[in-house]
Amino acid sequence: MSITALLPILALLTSLLAAVVIFALPENSHRLRTLVNLLAALFKLGIVAVMTWGVFRGVEFSVSFTMLPGVSFMLRADALAMLFAGLSAVLWFFTTIYAVGYLEDSPNRSRFFGFFSLCVASTMGIALAGNLFTFFLFYEMLTLSTYPLVVHRGTEKALQAGRNYIIYTLGGGVVLLLGIAWLHGLTGDLAFRETGHFQGSDPAMHGQLTLVFILLIAGLAVKAGMFPVHGWLPQAMVAPAPVSALLHAVAVVKAGAFGIVRVVYDIYGIDFAYLLGLLQPLAWLAAFTILYGSVRALSQIDLKRRLAFSTISQVSYIILGITLFGPIGTVGGLVHLLHQGIMKITLFFCAGNYAETLGVHRVDELDGAGPRMPATSVAFTVAALGMIGVPPLAGFITKWTMGAGALAAGMDWVVLVLLVSSLLNAAYFLPIVYRLWFCPIAGPWPAERRWGRLETNVWLFWPPLITMSMLVLVGLLAATALSPLSWAQLIAVRMYLS
Amino acid sequence: MSGLPPVTLIAASVLLPLLYPLLAARSGWHGLLRAALPLLSMPALLLALLSVAPWTLELPWLLLGSTWMLDEVRRTFLVLTALLWSTAGLYAVGYLGAERLRRFCVFWGLTLSGNLGLVLAGDIASFYTFFALMTFAGYGLVVHDGSDRARFAGRVYLIMALLGEMALLAGFLLVARALDSLLLADIPAAITASNEAALITALFIAGFGVKAGLPLLHFWLPLAHPVAPTPASAVLSGAMIKAGLLGWLLTLPIGEAGWEVAGQFLMLMGFVGSLGAALFGVLQRDPKTVLAWSSISQMGLMSVLVGAAMAAPGQAVLLVPVIALFALHHGLAKGCLFLAVGLVLPAKRILRPLLWLLLALPGLSLLGLPFTSGELAKAAMKNALSTASNLPLAEQLPMLLQAATLATAALLARYGWMLWLKLESGSVAPSVWSGWILATLCSAALFWWLPGVR
Repeated sequence: MSITALLPILALLTSLLAAVVIFALPENSHRLRTLVNLLAALFKLGIVAVMTWGVFRGVEFSVSFTMLPGVSFMLRADALAMLFAGLSAVLWFFTTIYAVGYLEDSPNRSRFFGFFSLCVASTMGIALAGNLFTFFLFYEMLTLSTYPLVVHRGTEKALQAGRNYIIYTLGGGVVLLLGIAWLHGLTGDLAFRETGHFQGSDPAMHGQLTLVFILLIAGLAVKAGMFPVHGWLPQAMVAPAPVSALLHAVAVVKAGAFGIVRVVYDIYGIDFAYLLGLLQPLAWLAAFTILYGSVRALSQIDLKRRLAFSTISQVSYIILGITLFGPIGTVGGLVHLLHQGIMKITLFFCAGNYAETLGVHRVDELDGAGPRMPATSVAFTVAALGMIGVPPLAGFITKWTMGAGALAAGMDWVVLVLLVSSLLNAAYFLPIVYRLWFCPIAGPWPAERRWGRLETNVWLFWPPLITMSMLVLVGLLAATALSPLSWAQLIAVRMYLS
Repeated sequence: MSGLPPVTLIAASVLLPLLYPLLAARSGWHGLLRAALPLLSMPALLLALLSVAPWTLELPWLLLGSTWMLDEVRRTFLVLTALLWSTAGLYAVGYLGAERLRRFCVFWGLTLSGNLGLVLAGDIASFYTFFALMTFAGYGLVVHDGSDRARFAGRVYLIMALLGEMALLAGFLLVARALDSLLLADIPAAITASNEAALITALFIAGFGVKAGLPLLHFWLPLAHPVAPTPASAVLSGAMIKAGLLGWLLTLPIGEAGWEVAGQFLMLMGFVGSLGAALFGVLQRDPKTVLAWSSISQMGLMSVLVGAAMAAPGQAVLLVPVIALFALHHGLAKGCLFLAVGLVLPAKRILRPLLWLLLALPGLSLLGLPFTSGELAKAAMKNALSTASNLPLAEQLPMLLQAATLATAALLARYGWMLWLKLESGSVAPSVWSGWILATLCSAALFWWLPGVR
């Protein structure tokens, strides 16, 4: 087997093997488990880095087997795949570190980290899937492996949230499968291809293709948290902070958004989707979700719940970006796939730090937390400003590119949506920042713990600071060849020109 | 002839104040934090005074591809910004108490970095970045004392600032559609070529108008400028307010034909601000609030000049340097007047007349008395306006300008009176005295230095 076929498989197997080993390890072998976790994460980071370099140089990584007649299992690394794989590899590494610290003394860590690794393996599979069937396989595996994480605490509330999560996502899965099967009946097995498959197809098929498109998007929209199928997301925030971070920033919502990107660009093709008139309604729905999520976030008192509604809003930026017909809009949507991940994971890390260190879960308990936990609070502040779109942070690069894309596509109204959304973001993030730094401490913290010199556990201390630096750097150095922006431009060039 | 960009000095100008907040990470470094305050804008001052303008520095890896530059207009703004922040910084060394010192210093450094950077920025992304840094960090200075009044002022400041930022973002996005580069210098021509020329211009007038205190967008200003600690008030009203003006100069289609109506509107608004602010200002009791209204009034005059430059494109080349000169003159004088509010009457009675004389100097300068920078600024303004042909309001101009002088006089008289009532004998730290005296000397020396600049 050649190296170009081996690497995608290795990327996938790293986390799968880690999962198996971790499940097999006894509950109390804390150090060994941490070692396996971190080694696997580092190893995968290396593989993904090599593959990304290869894809940049034009190397084709792919491997496929026939599963059933007419259905094949296919892994393939294109530029878009590496965008998502890179995101999940990098953020998984930091989330692992964070999770080790976060779950320090809690029970069932073996189970937790086992499913945690499975979840990341699924994400890697989703990123590298070469056709709809493979994509679906990992998409459902993700659902099943995240469920135990959501209900990890085992409380009544967690179980309720888990039930809801499973109903929503499996329901979405069924709709998605229906769409895939229908499409398979129409055209056979479809590999993802950079300009899609239906350019110049028989007009008689257009009606059916439109219906299939609606099914596919509807199925994927559940995980992407689009209105009106977003209901599971705010509830799922009862999960431990690292899970929320993973759910919101890397795995679940991104899998949905990434799937929509694949369907629009690599199955239908952006030109064809535009021709069928499918982009406009999707843009409206995304725009509505952006504003809806923000408005709902305003009234949430629970910090993680506020962040969850913010996720609903921010993920739809990605969708809105890809519906802007033209390469600049595509770049804006794709780059936000990364930017939102980095920013949101920082925010959830911080929320987790406040919960673990001070016992603070509600926004109105955060008064004066800044001086008590300066590093965490600086990270939170920077990430919140990034979400608002303050330059030079990641969110600004997104907003600027999307705004330019909207104007280039003649969809000027989108700029208005972006501006209103920025103001709403400011309205629900800045009061938190204000409480952190400018309000005096109201009283003793609900449940304060101390760890030596640092403001919190060292495993919890560094991840938000590192992801914060990333969200500054991706904005500050957006013009360099290694930035997410440049990578998204590379993808867009290949999508529109090849 | 263009000079080579002095890269180290440029980097130090922006990075020194930007990284200075890191000193606040340790709680034991109060002395260092204080001592560094007046030094933060020294590299920028050297850059303004020594570097051979114009120069351009390309930073293709930064943001969306950055260009930083210094030309004569920017140099004038840089001199003002660096001088005022240095003297106010010196003043702050002794003025600030130990309480919340670290927080103050963090916001001071960040705001300064933004204010200096936006002057040097030559492209949209850099400019907008530094402008936002100054705006958001400035909030920390406004709400510093934590009183209800400060928090209310801070909220109004922030809401208005956000609305302004959104107007600017929309304007920049719209103009970027018609631009090949992201250079600020290409904006005026691109606006004229754009289909949404009027909308873009309106967005820039309003977006920067918030900062510059344009009437109807001004109401945050008399709330926020006075509540900040005195050295911060000085830089808010002396230097940061000028960022709005500089924004106008850089983005509005000045020197392009076909903007008579917009120019006329801006002139009209300028006079409304200039005269209207006096009506509100003379009713105030807090000398700093009187000064804030006076800033609106003076910015009104500068808006008149910007409007005139749009209305008479042929005169723009002449008017723009005058506007920069006026900004420099007003910024330094206003800074001195603000700093004076934190002074005390010296115990030795014999020194008091000297104190009042020094206190009066910048005020007299604003009135345009002989041998002050105000005389030069006013003369240049009148000269530029009178030679402009087809200027709107040409008939009424002399009358309006006289009325504006009266408005200035009324505000300054009110300020003097309120200061007379406020100042008591006591003692303040030496650095407070030296910061104020240095600022006053700079303001007074401007008259002798300016002809050289021109």
